[in-house]
Amino acid sequence: MRQRLAMVAAVAALVLSACSGNGATQAPGNTSAATAGATAAASGGTAGGCLIGVSWNNYDQERWKKADEPAIKAAIAAGGGTYTSTDAHDSSDQQNKDITTLINKGVKVIILLAKDATAVTPAVQQAEAAGIQIIGYDRLIEDPKALYITFDNQKVGTIMAQVLLGVQPQGNYAVIKGDPGDPNAAFLRAGMDLGGLKDAVTSGKVKIVGEQNTPNWDTTGAKNEMQAILNANNNKVDAVLSENDGMATGVSAALQAVGLTIPLSGQDGDAAALNRVALGTQTVSVWKNAFALGETAGNAAIQLCAGTALTAVKAPSDLPAASKPADLNTHLFTTPGNNQVSSFILTPTPIQQANLGDVISAGWVTKDQVCTGVAAGKVAACG
Amino acid sequence: MSGTAVAAPERQNPGVRARLGDLVRVAELDGRLLGMILTLILIEVGFGIYTGGQILSPVNLLTFATQAVEIAIIATGMVLVIVSRNIDLSVGSVLAVCAMTYAVLMHEIYPTTIGVDTPYGWLLALAIGIGIGCVLGAIQGFLIAYVNIPSFVVTLGGLLAFRGLVFDISGGSTQAPDDKAFVVLGGGALGSLGGTLSWALGALLIAVILAYLTYNRRRRRKFGFPVRPLWAEVLIAIGGSLIVLGGVYVSNAYHWPRGLIQQYAAAHNISPNGLDFEAGVPWPAVILLAVTVAITFLATKRKFGRYVYAIGGNPEAAELGGINTRWTIMRIYILMGFLCAISAAIASAQINGATNDLGGGYELLVISAAVIGGTSFAGGIGTIPGAVLGAIVIYALRYNLQYIGLASNNQDIVIAIVLVLAVAFDTFSRRRAT
Repeated sequence: MRQRLAMVAAVAALVLSACSGNGATQAPGNTSAATAGATAAASGGTAGGCLIGVSWNNYDQERWKKADEPAIKAAIAAGGGTYTSTDAHDSSDQQNKDITTLINKGVKVIILLAKDATAVTPAVQQAEAAGIQIIGYDRLIEDPKALYITFDNQKVGTIMAQVLLGVQPQGNYAVIKGDPGDPNAAFLRAGMDLGGLKDAVTSGKVKIVGEQNTPNWDTTGAKNEMQAILNANNNKVDAVLSENDGMATGVSAALQAVGLTIPLSGQDGDAAALNRVALGTQTVSVWKNAFALGETAGNAAIQLCAGTALTAVKAPSDLPAASKPADLNTHLFTTPGNNQVSSFILTPTPIQQANLGDVISAGWVTKDQVCTGVAAGKVAACG
Repeated sequence: MSGTAVAAPERQNPGVRARLGDLVRVAELDGRLLGMILTLILIEVGFGIYTGGQILSPVNLLTFATQAVEIAIIATGMVLVIVSRNIDLSVGSVLAVCAMTYAVLMHEIYPTTIGVDTPYGWLLALAIGIGIGCVLGAIQGFLIAYVNIPSFVVTLGGLLAFRGLVFDISGGSTQAPDDKAFVVLGGGALGSLGGTLSWALGALLIAVILAYLTYNRRRRRKFGFPVRPLWAEVLIAIGGSLIVLGGVYVSNAYHWPRGLIQQYAAAHNISPNGLDFEAGVPWPAVILLAVTVAITFLATKRKFGRYVYAIGGNPEAAELGGINTRWTIMRIYILMGFLCAISAAIASAQINGATNDLGGGYELLVISAAVIGGTSFAGGIGTIPGAVLGAIVIYALRYNLQYIGLASNNQDIVIAIVLVLAVAFDTFSRRRAT
């Protein structure tokens, strides 16, 4: 999956990043309507009050064009600003050059999807020296003057554990984790413990019969691990916590091969995974609503442009309820580099059979993609 | 049968070791192959003791053997690539292009055209995927052989470009599921021959072994070539038959898991009580066997194979000797594309779909399998069964370490040590032998 490749590429940098997340929708009507005809590099016109630049890291990944960019554009347009962008093609060096380009274009705010949390620092300092406000978008940048807008990654793991423990409160659990070098994998695992997994294990209700990291979040690797766990336990496994949808694809195949249909988690909102949710072979895909993330960033950029102080910036009040941060104010977030950064931390959304319709109506996936092979009358969203 | 032309050479002080060596030589057995089989047995026995025998159960043996098939199939071709003093880094990406082609056809295109789960749809997909694999191989082969770009550069380009192509074909998202008939290629209880057919396959294989040994002996005698002593032939026949029978026995000792029995019973409206099916030999194993025999035949009995080894031994001499070296090299890469496509079918069937990361890192696994199996980077040397065994040894280790729950990073350490030791031991024993 693209997002997983991106993860691997950025391992060194991603400390609290949201790179594994595919965009999610549930977008408010006003943003999804304004998305048609979005193009990669809008020219930097000066119409409107404020020029806002976005420095993409890897625009070729489907998610940005599909969800983030339209939402950012719509929010900027709603505030009377103008959008411009660059794409670094997954290169820190190019990203530094891109930021210089944006500075020279005269932007007031830069929304930065950083390739690397620290490698981008020279250009960030250059921008701040020119009086430009930086918004760290989706991925962390080590800069106390920036505004950091992302999803709560640990919460993704928490939701996975809560949902699975909800349907399978006891029994043998397997945990298929992501790349051992990716901090995100460890955050997700820590989140699972917060979601009740640790308590369930302590109380003896749940026994973890297999737990394994998967180098590169590899699908086939996850399948092989699951086969080993199944064989070692005589197929007596009652639920599988997989840290993303790609690995869940491999796990699901291993389960089907021995005739097991048990609770299984994932994240990213992959079409194939949502199809499994509809078919009942996956319980939940935790989703990061990239429309909401984009709207928050675009809206914050407009406020900053108008001269609002960093700590006084507010998150939009019309975000989908499931994605809203705890409140609309910024909060200080302590980075791994021990910087205190003002931040909006959005909430990931669990997608299960009951709310599959939201995904379809928001336009993230088509009904055909989700409902292939689903018997009529079984799932509300599929009819 | 008294005309045994080759006798063990006399030695001054034939120790036990020397006698064993002579035995192997007289019987014309491949010492390295025997060493690999011994390594495999050591691994299994070692883990068997550690797990109190659990790891030697049929399901465990079948699982790692099936997991190894993807790598083993491509490794048979990689032997020829390396023997001809070339390299192929693009295998994982070519595999991914083919796998994604299968999955997109069955998941995206068939529903609106010919329909899913048609009797011929999966065969059509297979044909298209194999065609694409061969074309990608031909493009690379042409650039290497006729444009004289080093194979490292061309296939490194392939590694990157074809991986990019995968995203274009898939549109960036996972494509799943495949047609039900296609998934059978992935093995597991539902993707196996079943008890009766497995014994039939075993009988067929034994007949082939006996026929081949007899034919070979007659032919050698006819042309006045030395033949093995009769006892050696009998030993090989018995050994080969025992391996075949053992393989079938182990496969049939694995029975359908309860979950599948219940599904089957529900689908046929019968009671699951008392229902019991032998799984039998998995389809991926059958495919690997066919590929191994075919490529070994190609490499050792056909002109193409002779040319490949001649080019690897001495490219200039081969060229001067009238071998069309360019066309031969290009054909090796077309064959690689073909093998990647076959492997892709199994890889896709095993995860019932295709992800964009499929086959990532396979180039190193495939090359490792070939090298551990005795293929020399200096060119000219390497056997196909050795590479297949190399792949199986890697996966046996990986699977057993996963089974006992060792963390993945420490698995890598153990595997690395064992593989380096295996090759070091082999190099050492060869040096002693000469």
